[in-house]
Amino acid sequence: MKEKNVNIENLFGKLKKETPFRVPENYFETFADRLNVRIQEEKNSYNKRSLFIYFKPMMAVAAILVLAMLLIYIPITKLLPSDSGNIVQNRSEKNVNDSVSGIPAALISNFSEEQLLAAFSASNDLDSKTLTADNLAVYIADNYSSYEILTDN
Amino acid sequence: MDLNEKELIANLKSEASREQAFQLLVKMYQQRLYWHIRKIVMNHDDTDDILQNVFIKVWKNIESFREDSSLFTWLFRIATNESLSHLQKQKRHSLVSINEIGDYLSESLESDVYFEGDEIQRKFQLAILQLPNKQRIVFNMKYFDEMKYEEISLVLKTSVGALKASYHFAVKKIEEFLKEDPK
Repeated sequence: MKEKNVNIENLFGKLKKETPFRVPENYFETFADRLNVRIQEEKNSYNKRSLFIYFKPMMAVAAILVLAMLLIYIPITKLLPSDSGNIVQNRSEKNVNDSVSGIPAALISNFSEEQLLAAFSASNDLDSKTLTADNLAVYIADNYSSYEILTDN
Repeated sequence: MDLNEKELIANLKSEASREQAFQLLVKMYQQRLYWHIRKIVMNHDDTDDILQNVFIKVWKNIESFREDSSLFTWLFRIATNESLSHLQKQKRHSLVSINEIGDYLSESLESDVYFEGDEIQRKFQLAILQLPNKQRIVFNMKYFDEMKYEEISLVLKTSVGALKASYHFAVKKIEEFLKEDPK
């Protein structure tokens, strides 16, 4: 291989082995100082990264929880009928409407006929003697559909 | 690994003496590493960036240096890998279409304000730049740095036989290039 080197040198005549490149003035003299600045920057960014690394697991857990909640919430809202909210709303409205003189309809079924008569007469300022079972039947027939009467029981 | 190098590594690994030892390491190797990198990437500014990156890697990883090889071999290996990675990035990110990295480096040489060689040297450098990267590195380490094949083998993790063959082909190619275009 030494012979090959000689061949190349012969080919180039007075070719020197020294590199033909140069560097800016004082490059090597100032290199260590510039390197120190870079190392300080690296240290600072490493500290910031360390802080991020410290909080990273917590952020990951939070992200997983949010994702899990979304995975549960989205299918529920998609799969359930879209008017389920209306049903609940209608039901609450119905509960309000199904009250008779302030007495909810559901409660009415728990009272005996006499208790109901007494309650109606007290709230409507009616004379308990004029309020008969027939009157009550008429009142219920006027104010409730047969469906409502059957389903509330 | 001589005693001084062992001492230097021990000082680099110790937190108390690291800064001082690192300054010494930089002084000892900055010029050799600079020229090794410069011959691979050609451009001074790129060489400066890579050289800084090499020393920063050394600073960060000195504690995990297993001392399987000498400090010199380790440093040269990091420098070679960083330089080759840089060339790959240049090839990928360059806005100009570059068919061969050699063409890019030739352009870089032609416009290099820090090139002070004569016409013969310029021609010689252009011939070297036609070589594939690894062959070029082997040629530079053998021809300019006059390193032994055994040393190059440790840096490049390539067998001595393969290095000899690589150098042989590199010399042939340079000769052919110069004969074809002797102006």
